[in-house]
Amino acid sequence: MFRLRLLPWEYGVRNLLRRPARSALTLGALSTVVLLVFVVVAFIRGLESSLAVSGQPNVVLVYSINAAEDIENSAIPARSASLLSASLEGVEKQFGVTRISPELYVGTRISLRENDPPMFGIVRGVSHAAPLVRRQVQVTEGHWPGPGEVIVGKLVAAKLSCQASDLEIGKTIRFDGREWKIAGHFAANGAAFESEIWVPLTDFQNALKRQDLSLVAIGMADGSSPSDVELFCKERYDLELQAIGEVKYYASLQKHYQPVRMLGWLVVLLVAGAGVFAGLNTMYGSVMGRVRELATLQAVGYRRRAIVASLIQEAVLLSTSASLVAAVVAIFVINGTAVRFTMGAFALRVDSVAILVGCGTGLLLGVFGAIPPAWKAMQHSVVDGLKAV
Amino acid sequence: MRMVLAMGVLGFCALSIGCGPAATPPAAGPSAEGKAFLLSAEPMGAKGVKQLKVDAKDGDEIVAEGRIGGDAKPWIEGQAAFLVVDKSLSPCAGDEGCPTPWDYCCSTNELPECKAIVKFVDASDKPLATDARKLLGVKELQTVVVRGKAKRDEAGNLTVLATGIFVRN
Repeated sequence: MFRLRLLPWEYGVRNLLRRPARSALTLGALSTVVLLVFVVVAFIRGLESSLAVSGQPNVVLVYSINAAEDIENSAIPARSASLLSASLEGVEKQFGVTRISPELYVGTRISLRENDPPMFGIVRGVSHAAPLVRRQVQVTEGHWPGPGEVIVGKLVAAKLSCQASDLEIGKTIRFDGREWKIAGHFAANGAAFESEIWVPLTDFQNALKRQDLSLVAIGMADGSSPSDVELFCKERYDLELQAIGEVKYYASLQKHYQPVRMLGWLVVLLVAGAGVFAGLNTMYGSVMGRVRELATLQAVGYRRRAIVASLIQEAVLLSTSASLVAAVVAIFVINGTAVRFTMGAFALRVDSVAILVGCGTGLLLGVFGAIPPAWKAMQHSVVDGLKAV
Repeated sequence: MRMVLAMGVLGFCALSIGCGPAATPPAAGPSAEGKAFLLSAEPMGAKGVKQLKVDAKDGDEIVAEGRIGGDAKPWIEGQAAFLVVDKSLSPCAGDEGCPTPWDYCCSTNELPECKAIVKFVDASDKPLATDARKLLGVKELQTVVVRGKAKRDEAGNLTVLATGIFVRN
């Protein structure tokens, strides 16, 4: 008796096709809004993911106490690596090799050819122990660098704003007064290392005329914890070292980028808000032009709620299609696009969260864009509606 | 209009929260395990950290007095150890805009001579795997008197392998 008699499903679908130009324009506008949401969320997720996967739970970084949180400013004695190796008990070993990686981490000016304007890039001087500690790193092409050679991460081209072909194996790049031959390429499962250039440590020290290190990365054995290294650094305060778990270090960087993330989410809200207003405008136009039709539906016995439901159905159909279009473009065009930022570069990431936020926003645009104009249209009396031209 | 105003005020309040300096969580009282290390009376013959760094030899039984600090984070996460600083050194005054006065950032030159680490250890001299704040209920800038054994290294660093603590204030 109280069952609501809804309009047929096909009625809403047919209505969309009756005004193809208006429907196409609304679809285009909604797709653009949802795509913008996708871009911003992919940016935030890419940044978060790059920093999150960069840290490994069993790796501890030891660097200068005077460097605060910035490893680039750190300078510690070259003997720190051997001292730590000799003094710490919980360091992981495999086949007699200790997982301790001395590294020199420097931001420097890099040019592709002699007279090219230099670009800012990140170079890490490493020894053969580096891949034992940085286990995400995999040489994807070429070989480990020998003297005078470098390997480049897969996002270096984005960081240097150059073409990938400029960094092919066999080509040369220039930094710190020397020419370096590219020996290979590496990937690091999305970690920040991918925007770095790796070079043999001793060669790099010679080029920079520096004998110190920036940091020592230590792979801890099961059952040991970063606090063992922290305790050593606090006991040997004459060395002026500090230790931090790698996960914690990158988490602190995430905190550093918190304002950027907040701004990103604010942009998502603003874009979605603008989308709702655009949707409202379109829906008002669409519904107000159909006052007579809606009054006729009421006259033949459909209740107002059923008509409102049908109008929302139309809007949701349109916004869902727009979300799908935007999602397809985001996945195939935006996902993986490299973006430069201060620390290096990262890839935009259209993951499950981005899809959920993007498509959810699209769906909400449909629902909230349709309710007010539909409600407004229902305020007319049937007689007035039927007289409307 | 009222709604917009109310939203604005709410937004401002939300943004204001968390903009002040980070507060240090109050230390809870000592744990049941930690009570065993608390001394009921202040041990006699306490010496400042600076003096002990001159006098104490490796293995000497000592009583050290100092203020908890010497670093923005004087604690070792998950271990019963912390840094202490000689009382002759004053922590940075509040009007110098220092968010963590216990790091003595206004006296960095004198700090190395005045700093030592206190470790609460088991029978095999390994530090106890409980955070000192939870174990002993201590916090930054408290003056403590600790009894224990001196451990010196070739660089002159002093570690107190502590067996008892008296918290003065």
